[in-house]
Formats: sequence, structure tokens, C-alpha cells
Amino acid sequence: MKNSCSSVSTLLEKYFDQEITDEERFLVGGHLQDCPACRDALKSMEELRTLMRVPVEEAVRKEDFPWVWQKIEREIRLQRKRTWWQSLHSWLNVTPLLKRKVWIPAVATAVVLLFFSTQIIFKKTPSYPDVSVVEYVESQSDNVMVYQLDEPKVTVIWLFEGPEEDGTTT
Amino acid sequence: MAVRRPGGGWHDYMKRVGFLVAAFFVFSLFPISTALAQVPVRMRVIQASNVGQNVDSSLKDVHHELGSLFNFTSYRLLREENLRLSPNQPVTITAHPGRFMEVTLVGLQRDAAKLRIRVIREGKDILDTQVRLSPGRTVLIGGPRHGEGVVIYAVSARF
Repeated sequence: MKNSCSSVSTLLEKYFDQEITDEERFLVGGHLQDCPACRDALKSMEELRTLMRVPVEEAVRKEDFPWVWQKIEREIRLQRKRTWWQSLHSWLNVTPLLKRKVWIPAVATAVVLLFFSTQIIFKKTPSYPDVSVVEYVESQSDNVMVYQLDEPKVTVIWLFEGPEEDGTTT
Repeated sequence: MAVRRPGGGWHDYMKRVGFLVAAFFVFSLFPISTALAQVPVRMRVIQASNVGQNVDSSLKDVHHELGSLFNFTSYRLLREENLRLSPNQPVTITAHPGRFMEVTLVGLQRDAAKLRIRVIREGKDILDTQVRLSPGRTVLIGGPRHGEGVVIYAVSARF
């Protein structure tokens, strides 16, 4: 079926800009083979684009927009520089689901550790054997006596100092 | 475009759990281990003599023991020190003029602290002893002359 120029002309711009579907491209391509008017219209579009592209590209080449790039780079730097708290928060916050999954076992472990450590720390001291044992005693200069009483439970180490050894003790 | 490793989510998750648990463990045990490593020791230097009949009010708690052991009539507190001993770190105090006392925590068991006590006069050990004290127990070291009487050192472990 032959298509009329009026129906194809609406698709011609899209064809020219390559924004056309395969089906439409097939349709327009078939019409262009048979219609010199539409071929001319397409050719005009190409010439017009060439005419416009050359001065525009020339103007862009002359302008390097340094201030625009500086601004963009500054924005990128600002976005990259995060506070330690933001870094930590993002580090912990993988996804909302994982976030919850991380904290549940962590808190559970913390509670268990706290429970056992408090048991150890605050464990009531059992009746330890009351000891006050002298393991050794010696003196380079004087005599020494060790005296242990059961009541009161006291251990005494007595040093007989000086030339006269007058035991003033006990 | 970010590239995601297969299984990276689980790996990250485990890493983070591990980090949080380890951090808690380290921070919770640090003060405990520091506290356990130190032993408070109370040291009192008492002058005992037969001059007068005074007993310092600060010695009321040991007056009974002193009275039942010794025949002195006067007990005066010359000095009191509350030390915190760390293992194998000697602490030296001036016991009374011309004499120094060095106390070292050489061992710590659940029910007793092992202390090495040296009394030094003119660079010489006039007494070198090692005692094992359970919490609250006191050892009395007496004999060195001081003025009209003698000096008694009362060393108590308080842990």
C-alpha cells in the first residue's frame, strides 16, 4: 500500500532524528524510494542541519566555559567531603533491612556479655579462708620474730633492732 | 556505575556484626581488667610508747588488737597511706626518719594478695618479708626504734 506524503511528512522529522520505530522506518523508507518530493524535503533537512552545526560548533569551540567547570568540580568536592558521623552512619546503614539485622545480633550479644560480666564482677565473695601468711622473712642486720595469734587473728613480724635486743613485745 | 560482588551484602553484614561485637567486648573489658590489676593497700605507721596514755582516734579499730599484743600505753598515728599497687611495681614511702618502706604486689590470687615488704635503713634491708593477705586482713610489722618507743607498721589488703 502506498502512503500519501501528508501521512509520511509527520514521520519524516522523526526519521531524520532517528527517533523512529522499526515499523515506521520501514514505512518511511519505502515511501522515500517512490517519492522525490519527500526525498527533497529530507535532503533540505540535512542541509539545514549542516548549515546550523558549523557555526554552533565553531562558537562552542571558542568558549571553554571555565567558570562552569569550576563550579561543577567544587560541588563534586563538597558532596564527597562528608563528616565522620555521616561516614559512620552510611557505613552502618547498608539497607534498612540489613540495618535492623546488624543491630539485633549486636545488641543481643552485648546483653549476653553484659549479663555474664556482671555475674563475674558482682559475684558475692564466698567465705575465703582468712589468711595472713608470712611466706618468708629475713633481715640483714637484726633478729626477727614472727608471731601469729588465733584470737584476734593477727600476724606480727617483730624486728629486734639496735644493739640491745630487748623484746618489747607480747 | 557501582559493581556489586555476588554475596557482598552478607559479607558486609557479617563484618559489621563482628566489628560491633568486638568493639563492645574491648570497651567493656578494658576498665574491668584495669581495676582487677590493682590492689588497694592501707598502710599505717604507728608510734607505740609508754609515754602517756593516748590512743589516736583513728586507731580505734586496731586498738583492741594492739592492746592485746603489746604492753604499750600510747599509740600515735604518724602516717597513713592508701596505696593502689600494680603487679611488680614497687611503691616506696618514707616510713619514719631514716627508714623507707618498699611494698610490691608480687602476686594476686582470688583469695589473697601476695606482698613483698622491705624496710630499708641506710641502703640496707633491715627487714625483707613476703606475706599473703586475704581481703581485710592486716599484718603488723614492729620493732624499729622511734623516739621514746617503737614503730609499728600496719599493712592491710583491701580488695
